Amino acid sequence: MRYALQRLGQFILVFLVVTFLVMVITRIGSKDPARDLAGGLVAQEQVDEVRELYRLDEPFVVQYGNWIKNLVTLDFGYSYAQNQSVNDMMKQRLLPSFFIGIWAIFIGLLLAVPTAIYSAYRRDGAFDKTMSTTSFAFLSMPPIVIAVLLSFFIGVKLRWFPVDSNYVALWDNPWQHFRNFILPSFTLGLGLSAVWTRLLRADLINTLQSDFIMLARAKGMSPRRILWVHALRASALSLITSIAIQMGGLIGGAVVAEQFFAMPGIGDRLVFAIQQNDLLVVQAITALLAIVVVAVNLLVDLFYAVIDPRIRHARAIK
Amino acid sequence: MSAITKKRDWPTVLAAAWLIGLTILAFTADYLPFIRGYAESSPEGIGFSKGPFTSFLLGSDQLGRDVFARCIYGAQISLRIALFSIIIGTVVGGTLGMVAGFFGKASDRAISAFTDVMLAFPPIVIAILVTGRFDALRKNSEAFSWLSRTWSITFVLSILAIAPLARIVRAQTLSISQREFVLAARSLGARNGRVLVREILPNLVPAMVSVIFTGVAVLLIAEGGLAFLGYSIELPTPTWGRLIAENRNFIREAWWGTIMPCVMLFATVLSFNVLGDRIARRFDIREAAL
Amino acid sequence: MSDFLEVTDVFTHFETPRGQVRAVDGVTFTLERGKTLGIVGESGSGKTILSRTIMGLLPTRGTVRGGTIRYKGEEIQGRAPSEMRDIWGKQMAMIFQDPMSSLNPLMKIGMQIAEPLIHNLDMPKDQALATAKRLLDDVRIPESVKRLNQYPHELSGGMRQRVMIAIALACGPNLLLADEPTTALDVTVQAQILDLLREQRQDRNMSMILVTHDLGVVAGHTDEIAVMYGGKIVEKAPTDGLFKNMLMPYTAALLESIPKMNRPSHTRLTTIPGRPPDLVSPPAGCRFAPRCPAAQERCHSEEPPLFSAGSPGHVYACWYPVGSPVYREAIERRAKETV
Repeated sequence: MRYALQRLGQFILVFLVVTFLVMVITRIGSKDPARDLAGGLVAQEQVDEVRELYRLDEPFVVQYGNWIKNLVTLDFGYSYAQNQSVNDMMKQRLLPSFFIGIWAIFIGLLLAVPTAIYSAYRRDGAFDKTMSTTSFAFLSMPPIVIAVLLSFFIGVKLRWFPVDSNYVALWDNPWQHFRNFILPSFTLGLGLSAVWTRLLRADLINTLQSDFIMLARAKGMSPRRILWVHALRASALSLITSIAIQMGGLIGGAVVAEQFFAMPGIGDRLVFAIQQNDLLVVQAITALLAIVVVAVNLLVDLFYAVIDPRIRHARAIK
Repeated sequence: MSAITKKRDWPTVLAAAWLIGLTILAFTADYLPFIRGYAESSPEGIGFSKGPFTSFLLGSDQLGRDVFARCIYGAQISLRIALFSIIIGTVVGGTLGMVAGFFGKASDRAISAFTDVMLAFPPIVIAILVTGRFDALRKNSEAFSWLSRTWSITFVLSILAIAPLARIVRAQTLSISQREFVLAARSLGARNGRVLVREILPNLVPAMVSVIFTGVAVLLIAEGGLAFLGYSIELPTPTWGRLIAENRNFIREAWWGTIMPCVMLFATVLSFNVLGDRIARRFDIREAAL
Repeated sequence: MSDFLEVTDVFTHFETPRGQVRAVDGVTFTLERGKTLGIVGESGSGKTILSRTIMGLLPTRGTVRGGTIRYKGEEIQGRAPSEMRDIWGKQMAMIFQDPMSSLNPLMKIGMQIAEPLIHNLDMPKDQALATAKRLLDDVRIPESVKRLNQYPHELSGGMRQRVMIAIALACGPNLLLADEPTTALDVTVQAQILDLLREQRQDRNMSMILVTHDLGVVAGHTDEIAVMYGGKIVEKAPTDGLFKNMLMPYTAALLESIPKMNRPSHTRLTTIPGRPPDLVSPPAGCRFAPRCPAAQERCHSEEPPLFSAGSPGHVYACWYPVGSPVYREAIERRAKETV
């Protein structure tokens, strides 16, 4: 427990540093932040109003403090360019992005785990060698390439799934939801599964040489049980670590996928906002995405204790 | 040395061949008659009229430019940026990593905190953000009018490369420092600087080379994504990402406009990955994720 | 009665880049129901591989096997793992050397003991756990209920080994193969574990093969001892008989090398000079010859077969065994040289 609190403290610290940096970066090159915030070409009074509202005359640290203060009430400011509160905008657009990410991870794991297990089991066999090459190939394909190929072959030629899609919530219409998300999530999921298959296979091969696996065999346990219960549990640690590590890339890929498949998510919105100099939106979304990365890392770190009792006890002692 | 008969390692040979060929073509493009000039529009091929293996090797694009030529020029730019960025990232990140891994304690804590923060930022998001802001900076400020997209992108990619590299080098340095010959050198009274340069650095080289290759692959992928989102070099310079993005909408009528750059990008990234992987395996470097 | 376990001319070779490693190179013995055989040897003698061979727990790739192993009359040598799985746990069980690495660190103790019960004997889970508790009591682990929910790293080395024994005994096997069960333990705990094993054996009328490098371990706990060297059995005898009358110089040297408490302090430890033989290309002739204090011409060129000694059940492989004139002469000569 104490460990969790410690990590939470670190998290908050990193949160502050990261969001501060985001604000700094967002303001780079801005001749007159007030004008940018106000939406560009507007009347002077409005610009001044905005300047008042966001305290843009005061030192930067104060501005940041103000932002944090508003954060507590979930007030990310108002986007004059879009005529919408940032908060509202995010609420609308958060879910599609979330789903792309979640389904991508789901697909990635779904493909990677059985493949890795069978590859490690029948090491250097036909399946293993084929899968190894395939993984390597997918690793080397940028999200756009996969997106282009998938949308071309499946979307256009075979016409199975829509290429330009609209967002449908999972609870509204599962089937439509599935059809809409399959292409973007699969695009990202393939890349993830390539990374994870290689990783998990290597780790499993290592684990399978352990003494406790030998004992499990000597107990008469079936290969299936040994692989899925004994070996997988031991190798799970490196896998979930990789989930955390891949978050940054996944988010980047999601931004590309949203653009490509016309999904109304926050990534897509971010790109637009950057073009528009809509600084508050940019700041809010970037901060959010960065925090997601940190949060996932934190969660994974805490999850170690759930999986491995030795870590659990070591942390409890500290 | 093992007595197992060595089979020729086809992937490595092919990968190396592709890269060498591509690099030669890319950097001599201006001098090669069958490439130079074809990247500009010509009436003959306008409107994707020619497909691959006709008078246009890989087909023509909308403005009648030779897709092959554009790809080669694209290679030039993409490779140059990727290599430059990774080298900078390696030098800076590598130094940080070595210091953190070797001297430990306070410096390690500081550097690790720094890399943790850096790694919190999703790379592509930061890339477009910074490039976008640098655009604004260039527009709004006299002093920064030199800040072209080329500079911006190189800068951003370099910065993004630092943290992962620092992490990897730190891990490698830690493991090398534990080995006997370092302790031996130390016990003979060698000073820190000497140990660092003489003992540790040479042993880092294989890992660094492997990471550089893999890093270039990653950066090429990143550049592709960036170009697609609109954050590529100024027009009309072609990069692979831009080629893919530009021609994507014509995929139904003229698939070669997009697919060819896709293939080239894929082949190049794959080759870098293969070489990076082979080097890592040869020197038994623990895989650290970028 | 037909012998419980018959091992005849068994060999196990491994294909490696260096060549074929002849880890076990022609071993023959039999074991009766309820008896204990001790297999003694240095590391590299092939004793561990032999126990794994009997069990059938060898890697499938690069392994060349041969000979016959008859268990309860049935030929089990050469069977695929899928066929052997029926026997593992239920008929034959194995305990390993290092209990820390042999137990699954991520699984509760209770579950690890119950697992074979559930999957081999189709026992329902709660019954299996109850049986697990009883097994923990049998192996004398205190607070057995609490232990069921603990993890291996929470137990001491001796307790972990007891857990391994509990796991091995769970399905009531008829043959227990113990591979260096006490090597990783403190000396005081060693005795406890060996006594525990003896007790369980007697209660269950189980046969046991006890593999170790330590003559002291086999001295009080076996019915018969086989000494291995270079992948072969070089001497075999009922335990008492062996200690009373060692015939193979190697066995004698082994005994000599054990430090004795009653010698004055600072006495030089007796070692066997040289190194174990290269199992890829073993020397012609007796494999121990390069290191034998009494080696003669013949020893280096001709490999001795197993001779029967006077007492029943005692065989040895030596041209000039301990006590023979040639041997005594060679030893005296050597003693004069070193003085």
